Amino acid sequence: MRIGQDEPSDENLMAQIATGDEEALRELIVRHEDRVYGTVARMIGGAGPDAEDLAQQIFLRIWRAAPKYRAEAKFTTWLMTVTRNLVFTFCEARARRMEVSEEIVDEETEETIQRKESVAGRTPREDLSGKELIEAVEKACAQLPMKQRLVVHLREHEDMDFSEIGEILGISEFGAKSLMFRARENLKIKLSAFLTEPS
Amino acid sequence: MRKKRDEIGDGAEGLGPELGRLWASAPVPKAPSWFAARTMARLRQEEDSKKSWFGMPRWVLMGTGLALLAVGWFRWESQPTIRDAEVFAALNAFVEEDRESRWWAGL
Repeated sequence: MRIGQDEPSDENLMAQIATGDEEALRELIVRHEDRVYGTVARMIGGAGPDAEDLAQQIFLRIWRAAPKYRAEAKFTTWLMTVTRNLVFTFCEARARRMEVSEEIVDEETEETIQRKESVAGRTPREDLSGKELIEAVEKACAQLPMKQRLVVHLREHEDMDFSEIGEILGISEFGAKSLMFRARENLKIKLSAFLTEPS
Repeated sequence: MRKKRDEIGDGAEGLGPELGRLWASAPVPKAPSWFAARTMARLRQEEDSKKSWFGMPRWVLMGTGLALLAVGWFRWESQPTIRDAEVFAALNAFVEEDRESRWWAGL
């Protein structure tokens, strides 16, 4: 979202929030809700009650952290760092729960293999505009390791620099580029049925 | 000028043109229209639940209660102990006093 000249900056809004200004928080939410919600949904595998709950928790955490907030980095970098912390914790907890119900995962894997086989038999052109492509991309995204998934999302959707992405993940710029490289290689394999160029 | 990701040779820094297009074909969900209102409602609810009687935070009341209990326990523990002999001596003194009173009364 582009900020107008007469609109307060994110840092100014944070200063107002630190004094207990709820209206400033509402403004900040409206400004960044799509960014936060979209990132959360992409990371946890889709929109829904979990995504809404997590995105709300992120803004509540911002409200509580506002008095201690110092504008040392870009606000969006800090916002995405808070988002990363909550989302990674959620994904790790969910992965532990999934280990318990392995049967469900097995059924899902079987379904994925069946879907892959059905996709492999078609030409890329047939699939490019289809719902199947969207599902395949979402599936490939969900199968990426958490950090790779976040790097790809921040780079491709949020158009962030690798230095910023590195800061969010607590790694170097080179480390972020390395994650991007590995994510690309993984995606090439997972989406090979849709690619016209040889990988 | 900022380099675009789709430029030749920049594939190492992004998904590259074709993979990038595939990735973009799956739209990123947007926040529902009620998101801000619901978040503000949740914030108020959580802030209210932290408060208790007389607008005082719950932890202040709980802390005061615990402090009172601790002081009470400490005072109870530190009160002087009375030995059995002291109790019997006090009772005997009552009996003696009663006998003397009766003698003086000519009973």
